[in-house]
Amino acid sequence: MVSKKHISITVNGEVKETEVEPRMLLAHFLREVAGLTGTHIGCDTTNCGACTVIMDGKAVKSCTILAVQANGKKILTIEGLSKGREKLHPVQQSFVDKHGLQCGYCTSGMILTSYWLLKNRKNVTEEEIRAAISGNLCRCTGYDNIVESIKDASKKMEEEGDPIEEHPEIKVRA
Amino acid sequence: MNPPIFEYFAPTGIDEVIDILAKYPGEAKILAGGQSLIPLLKSRISSIPYLVSLSEVKGLSYVDEGKEGVRIGAMTVDSDLENSELIRKRFPLLHDATGQLADPLVRNVGTIGGNLSHADPANDLPAVMIALDARFAVRGRNGSREINARDFFLDTFTTAMEPEEVLTEVTIPFWGKKSGGAYVKFKKNTWNFSVAAVAVQLELEGNKCTRAHIATTSVSPKSGRMESAENILVGKALTDEVINKAASEVAASAQPTTDPYGTEEYKREILRRITREAIRKALSRAGVN
Amino acid sequence: MELSEKLVRGEGRFVDDIQMPGMLYLGFARSQYARAKILKITGAQLTHREVNFEVVEVGEGATEGGPAALSHPVLAGEYVGYVGQPIAAVYSDDRYVAEDLIDSVEVEYEPLKAIVDPEESLKREGMYPGIKSNAIVDRYFGKDFNPDPSDIVVERRLINRRVATNPIEPRGIVAAYDGHKLTVWVSTQSAHSIKEGLSEALKMEPDRIRVVQVDTGGAFGLKGGLFPEYVVACYLAMKEKRPVKWIETRREHLLASRPGRGVVANLRLYAKKDGTITGLKGDVIVDNGAFTGGSGEFSPMFIARQLAGAYKLPNAYVRAVSALTNKAPQGPYRGAGRPEAMYFIERLMDGLADKLKMDPVELRLINAAKETYTSPLGMQVEKSREFLESAIKELNYEKYKGRENVGFAFLILYHATAGGESARIKVEEGRLKVWTGGNAHGQRHDIFIKTLLKEELGVPEDLVDAMKGDTDQLADGVGAWGSRSSMVLSSAVIVAARKIKEQVEKKHGKYTLKALLEGNWDEYEFFKYDKTESSLGANLVTADIDSYGRVMVKECLSYYDAGRVLDPDNARGQNAGGAVQGIGQTLSEELSFDEDGLPLITSISDAGVLSADLVPKFGIKFYKSESPLPSKAKGLGEAPTIGVPIALSRAIELATGKLILETPIRPEYILPEERA
Ligand SMILES: Cc1cc2nc3c(=O)[nH]c(=O)nc-3n(C[C@H](O)[C@H](O)[C@H](O)COP(=O)(O)OP(=O)(O)OC[C@H]3O[C@@H](n4cnc5c(N)ncnc54)[C@H](O)[C@@H]3O)c2cc1C
Ligand code: FES
Ligand code: FES
Repeated sequence: MVSKKHISITVNGEVKETEVEPRMLLAHFLREVAGLTGTHIGCDTTNCGACTVIMDGKAVKSCTILAVQANGKKILTIEGLSKGREKLHPVQQSFVDKHGLQCGYCTSGMILTSYWLLKNRKNVTEEEIRAAISGNLCRCTGYDNIVESIKDASKKMEEEGDPIEEHPEIKVRA
Repeated sequence: MNPPIFEYFAPTGIDEVIDILAKYPGEAKILAGGQSLIPLLKSRISSIPYLVSLSEVKGLSYVDEGKEGVRIGAMTVDSDLENSELIRKRFPLLHDATGQLADPLVRNVGTIGGNLSHADPANDLPAVMIALDARFAVRGRNGSREINARDFFLDTFTTAMEPEEVLTEVTIPFWGKKSGGAYVKFKKNTWNFSVAAVAVQLELEGNKCTRAHIATTSVSPKSGRMESAENILVGKALTDEVINKAASEVAASAQPTTDPYGTEEYKREILRRITREAIRKALSRAGVN
Repeated sequence: MELSEKLVRGEGRFVDDIQMPGMLYLGFARSQYARAKILKITGAQLTHREVNFEVVEVGEGATEGGPAALSHPVLAGEYVGYVGQPIAAVYSDDRYVAEDLIDSVEVEYEPLKAIVDPEESLKREGMYPGIKSNAIVDRYFGKDFNPDPSDIVVERRLINRRVATNPIEPRGIVAAYDGHKLTVWVSTQSAHSIKEGLSEALKMEPDRIRVVQVDTGGAFGLKGGLFPEYVVACYLAMKEKRPVKWIETRREHLLASRPGRGVVANLRLYAKKDGTITGLKGDVIVDNGAFTGGSGEFSPMFIARQLAGAYKLPNAYVRAVSALTNKAPQGPYRGAGRPEAMYFIERLMDGLADKLKMDPVELRLINAAKETYTSPLGMQVEKSREFLESAIKELNYEKYKGRENVGFAFLILYHATAGGESARIKVEEGRLKVWTGGNAHGQRHDIFIKTLLKEELGVPEDLVDAMKGDTDQLADGVGAWGSRSSMVLSSAVIVAARKIKEQVEKKHGKYTLKALLEGNWDEYEFFKYDKTESSLGANLVTADIDSYGRVMVKECLSYYDAGRVLDPDNARGQNAGGAVQGIGQTLSEELSFDEDGLPLITSISDAGVLSADLVPKFGIKFYKSESPLPSKAKGLGEAPTIGVPIALSRAIELATGKLILETPIRPEYILPEERA
């Protein structure tokens, strides 16, 4: 038997402490230990990005990070974007308004990658958007409406600001 | 698909890392960003009984400008290199490569140390470092030693490091005033790695080439210098004719094999064309048109 | 909460999100060989010995049973027929341990020479003992004819290679058993089709099975039917009396789901010198895979029958064959026979135009059907000339005419309307719950259901809950595929709504929203429909090729007859999604095999699924019309997967000067030559 490891990960501002097997993937930790099933799994070769989360301010693929590697880190998942607020986060709202989703399976990852992009870049061009989401696959939308959603989100974030800024514990590093 | 069982260590000191590696020779491996290692474990092609993470070792992530060159910590992630103004200005060749490597999310996690230590001839950074004439600081039980990039890659997935050694730092020396480099990568539509890629770094005096380094990705069992082609360039003004000749020589001396990425012949032809493009780009970056 | 809002909050409920106490994770040891005899299995928890069932055909294109010997065994018996075929099952209450157990299963094989190529298969010995021919379908359509010796002939060998459906959510199921009733939660396009299949495979009375659809992360044809893994999950749930979960890995998807396309055509098109087509001859051969139960018993016929395209074709004689190969069974993939048929006829039309030195669109115009007629191959071809004239105008073809990088596709899309569809509306506590027989998997039926109920009953959208499929809530149902839902599903909803309205009128003298919402109503409608409807479409694509042979799609425009467009935003999304799949099929998507039948593709990226940086923006315009159905809508979901490969192939053909005969187009083939 391998020894379990004690880890402490801050997920959406809440500290989660537990023992896990070293081989447990962060994606499974989030889904099955923390109960946050908005993080999806769509492949086994780190290609699809359905599992995207923000770790210490950067968008990463949680299927290719061990939970033990995330020890001591701050994670933001899709659930954290509008946590405790009835109103959607501007990026989420834009995906609703501009039909940036169909089946919704890639959506959590797309939204988090977009959020990370928009925290790092102002006035994004279409080309920058398409490059930024090149590690997130969508089989339904053909990307048009996703790109439109991100453009719209860029505007919304400029106008309305980022509600997450009020929660420093889950803030994204820009 | 999920990894098989392994033991995990995350010591805070580099010497402890080395001790653990030494305790389980051949069975322990370093875990850096995990962007090669974890997919490998998940595929269950191989199992690794002991993983030693570098994540808790402080001070391995930096890009510093020194007198003789730029020093990069082994745990520096690809996106930090991609966004480094210093790298973009001094080593556009490396900037080219990091911007095209994997995808933005993988680049947020994958490290320079892992990219090199993995010694995958399809990885981009080995060729880049060879072309730039980088030196690698490698630490083991008896302290540190330095290995030149061109001597580091012995074979596919095999480096000159001992099993208990750790790559800690990469130093890229500054090149002369009139120098330039470029990395040109050709991908088959969506496929993960390249059909072929080439790194070219040139130094000139007047319009004569005084130093040329060329190294390739994906077309040989290991990345290495293409000396016969370099010799065609050195000492000459780089006319189209010279460039074409060198590009053909790179294509002829590479060792591609037929696989789902393409036939051997196709890969050579692509390699010839990208080498030509890379030399031209390097030349123009060196200030020669 | 509205579905979109739920999904953007990460609060969707997909099958892998289900957790139950005591749940077992199921895993499969799969064949390493394309064709082999199994000598011995060790380390397995379940094998053919315990689970001796077969999967009977269900889902899109289901026909009445194929040869029994060829049904897909749930777990392999004496022989394995493709790499990835389930041989043995293992399980554990930990998903990681279940995978460890897979690794501990050992299988001894006696390898046999694999049959990889479908045409070669027809010349080889039978794949299984007792089978004489590897053609599981071999039929002729039309009537033989003698072409006029003075006719022009264009002969082509055209191939659409195999592609994976690759929804981003893989297949998956959770099964639970209470001692009497089996309940399954599944990612599907058709809860009823899964129920029917399970009932047949497990030999269980249908009323002891309940199938519940959960949020479904894309399907594209794949998730219409039943799979061996699902049967094992149910068997195990009943055996152990514990909930069982099976979630497909992407690797398993690429090896052992039901990939689409995989069709070869050898065809000759005859025409007069003025361009009027006179006849078509040849054969269509489907790469069926190793068992029945996919779509191979149906697809060659469906393809052959559509080969007149949208044209007036006087004579035709086509052989339709489905050949056994050592691969996973072919299944329906977005379009399912439609893209293949149109690709074949349209590539022939371009070839004919070149031979006659005519503009290809001009040639199409000459041959477009002036009146609706039944082609010699058996399909009704609607009159298409008017539409084509309008398409030429709306797509601004005159501007592109003669350019060296433009392709044009003219298509007819046959909707799988036959069979009809069901709907149930229940009014309770001031809200409307709506169940439908076809289950959305990304097409967002919820949006148009709300629109229609607002129109029919004046109900505000936020009072309507579009429910997931549930066989206990809805007596019967068909499925969401074949561009049918906006037609028959919506019509079922409309008729059910009208029935409720009548009930309200009967009781209260007149219909009011208040009376509706204050009462309890429940209406079920199976909207019967026997006819296969169709609609027309056109695509225009321009593409540039760089000096490395890289294709950059510049413009990709659609012009479709979608009847009444129920939801324009959604239609645009459907178009762009289908167009990216069409570009993928043309440029990058392929499941390739080596000569021993070993699959060469192991990741979704290597399988060619395109990312956002590799595709353009899309455009769509709609032709104004109405369908004869109550919804007045026409389907559109499959049109771009039909039209885009055709137009893009032509654009590349012109840009490279190389005949394009296959999808995907190999980068090697179109690498521009350089003169030294
Ligand atoms: C989808 C995808 C696409 C990719 N595309 C590309 C691409 O286009 N080009 C490219 O170059 N790469 C690509 N990669 C690989 C990626 O760049 C990896 O990040 C990189 O190869 C390994 O870096 P890592 O830090 O993740 O190392 P790890 O995966 O942690 O380790 C890799 C190997 O190096 C060893 N190692 C790591 N660090 C050290 C050290 N400091 N000293 C000694 N040994 C060490 C490990 O023991 C292991 O054997 C891709 C990966 C993925 C998942
Ligand atoms: S599940 Fe993480 S990249 Fe696909
Ligand atoms: S919306 Fe279905 S995968 Fe993106």
